[in-house]
Amino acid sequence: MLGYLARRLAMTIPTLLLVAIAVFALVRLIPGDPVQVMLGDAADPAQAAQLRAQLGLDQPIPVQFIHWIAKLAAGDFGHSITNNLAVLPLILDRFQVSAVIVLVAVGLAACIAVPAGLVAAWKQNSLVDLSVVGGATLLLSIPSFWLGLLLLLLFGLKLKWLPVIGYVPFAENFWQAASFIVLPIATLTMVEIGVLTRMARAASIEVLRFEYVTHARAKGVPEWRVLARHVLPNAFAPTWTLIGLVLGHLLGGIAVIETVFTLPGLGRLLVDSIFARDYPVVQGCLLFTAVIYVVVNLIVDLCYPLFDPRVTVA
Amino acid sequence: MRRPSPAWAVSLAALALLAMLGKAGAETLLRTRLNADIRSTDPGTNRDANTDGVIAHVVEGLVAFRDDTSVGPMLAESWAVSNEGKTYTFRLRQGVKFHNGATMTADDVVWSLKRWLDPATQWRCLSEFGATGIARIEKVEAPDPQTVIIALDQPTALFLSTLARPDCGQTAVIHRDSVGADGKWISPVGTGPFKLAEWKRGQYVDIVRFDGYVSRGEPRTGYTGAKDVKVDRVRFNVIPDSSAAKAGLLSGSLDVIMSLSIPDLEELKSRPEVQLSITPALGLTGILFQTKDPLLKDVRIRRAIALSIDTAQIVEAVMMGTARPNNSALPLGSPFYSEPQSHGYVQNIAEAKKLLLEAGYRGQPIKMITNKRYSFVFDSSVLVQAMAQTVGINIELEVLDWAAQLDRYNRGDYQSMAFVYSARLDPSLSFEMLTGPKATQPRKIWDNPEAQEMLRQSMMIDDTAKRQTLFDEMHKRFIADVPMIVLFNGAELTALRKGIKGYAGWLYPQPRFWGVTVQ
Repeated sequence: MLGYLARRLAMTIPTLLLVAIAVFALVRLIPGDPVQVMLGDAADPAQAAQLRAQLGLDQPIPVQFIHWIAKLAAGDFGHSITNNLAVLPLILDRFQVSAVIVLVAVGLAACIAVPAGLVAAWKQNSLVDLSVVGGATLLLSIPSFWLGLLLLLLFGLKLKWLPVIGYVPFAENFWQAASFIVLPIATLTMVEIGVLTRMARAASIEVLRFEYVTHARAKGVPEWRVLARHVLPNAFAPTWTLIGLVLGHLLGGIAVIETVFTLPGLGRLLVDSIFARDYPVVQGCLLFTAVIYVVVNLIVDLCYPLFDPRVTVA
Repeated sequence: MRRPSPAWAVSLAALALLAMLGKAGAETLLRTRLNADIRSTDPGTNRDANTDGVIAHVVEGLVAFRDDTSVGPMLAESWAVSNEGKTYTFRLRQGVKFHNGATMTADDVVWSLKRWLDPATQWRCLSEFGATGIARIEKVEAPDPQTVIIALDQPTALFLSTLARPDCGQTAVIHRDSVGADGKWISPVGTGPFKLAEWKRGQYVDIVRFDGYVSRGEPRTGYTGAKDVKVDRVRFNVIPDSSAAKAGLLSGSLDVIMSLSIPDLEELKSRPEVQLSITPALGLTGILFQTKDPLLKDVRIRRAIALSIDTAQIVEAVMMGTARPNNSALPLGSPFYSEPQSHGYVQNIAEAKKLLLEAGYRGQPIKMITNKRYSFVFDSSVLVQAMAQTVGINIELEVLDWAAQLDRYNRGDYQSMAFVYSARLDPSLSFEMLTGPKATQPRKIWDNPEAQEMLRQSMMIDDTAKRQTLFDEMHKRFIADVPMIVLFNGAELTALRKGIKGYAGWLYPQPRFWGVTVQ
């Protein structure tokens, strides 16, 4: 198990190095540079050159890359060009906001979607199935920003139950913090329910056709036990993979939702940094996202044996 | 022993409570917002607009800008210019104290200036006093404790205004204790009305009242005049998100927020707990033309576009009454803005059509770059596009992000673009940002050798009347050449809680928290 873990982690190093190179190069391919943004229209060439030298941007790009990678290897993500803050604490700070929303939303979505998919599969082609599939497809098709805006309009402006904008850290005031993230979580949950329900239903339909299900039924096992003991565990594996992918994807940034609800999350940080051409922050965010992806997938893989004893990590 | 009666206990508790309240209420705090953290506390070196705005409360220079952007004395009592405009002799004010209690002398001024002029300091404005700048500083000396003499290699009209520039840190006079023995920056020990108290990176900057401050006598004006501090502490909270800042103001956790957008203004107007301060600004919004472009090199086409638009209508629609139309490169509010500058473009559809016919324009598309970072820039470009359409000019908008647009601007790589220039505090500098040879400075938009010569003269002569004549002539040619259509100068919009009194914006878009009370 530990050997497997070590091997998996070692395998991620080339992936991350490739990501680092790609990120570093791509960021510099975008027209415009941070010095121009900082100096604005008053970019006197002499001043611009001075600032570039100050920031180390006058060096050849490979040299800049080596500097960055060398520091990165020592755990130093560098400092933001715009506000001089250390990049890693900045990312971690923003990541907390995104992570709370994503984890709660995906957790809720899974709790609703998996049973719903299972029931739909069990009652395949019935009215129940039709409404579950219909509902899932509808949720899947709604753009998250639109749904978010509608929820804001209804609960924020019309009913005035929840605050419209802003964010309070949980450490400061738990209930107030919670009131700010209810709507983003609700939005994300609804969108993700759509994806997960369809997956859970498809997987369950497949499992329901297996002979051991027929066998269990023939033995006279009660239907709820058939579903709970035989269908659910077997049908959950593919859904679990999808949850892993969804988590990795969402943790990297829910920029749209964060923008709609003005939350200081990782996605907003990335978008703002791209606009400011804040290279160290953009690089840091993207690399961090890549690491999260890798880690989430690793955790998902390590969890398989819990659901399916036939799978072993070796 | 007698037990204390309940009445006693209640009174004691009430007294204790009062004492606590009294203590808590003893410090008056004013809370405002920065959209990003300051970059350093070293004036005019590692800086940006936020840094300048905070530091201006802590340090002062020999001279400073007044409300109308003219230059007035600050730490200097007076000055005299001699040797054909090459020698400046400053008399210093007596009894001015640094934050550490030391009295300011000419020695401190000389030490500070030499520090700024040392390349190791990386002062932003060093290049202005070098070979390519306005004039070289040849000598700085202190013949006596109240006098400082600065000798230049050539006369310049911009010497004092450069010293006063906020982005140069107002060429602050600071105490030696501001740096360590190794010459490294520690913290500003200045003469300003506030002392730097605490800088919590990424969270806030606190400045507190300097009790030993010796104020000037004349009323508050710009960055000079009386600086009577009426609060104990000002906290600049770092809040990047503007909606969060707005929410903070409405909930009462912030007292002042600056740089509001027009939609913000419309929203805040209706709130009873908020008052607004609308001040004309020095920025300049307009449409730039690439005069080297095969199509737009024909001045008749550029002129036709200028004649097709109604500047006043655009400004009204875009700025909702907070700004006035202005086709001049000089900002409204500049002391040099006079009658000639008010003559701009008057909408004339027939004339525009005639010019297009003469130029042989047949509806070729004209690309106009614009951006959504500044909503007023985008709105202006849309209205110009629509108005030009009425005379048959086919403008196609291309929306870029600001950084990409700046890159195109700096390379001169565009046909036309809607653009916004930041504040320039001297009319020579307003023209300098526009005029220059495109061959060596591709970002310059107005390549007219005669204008460049007039600009050079305006930078050398210190005579106001002669400078005015030059600016008037440059304005006429600027309007005739149409390298750009200036539309308006914008406005600085600030929202304050109702309890804040004595706040006033000025032409430079930075707040001043002296003379402000919190109720």
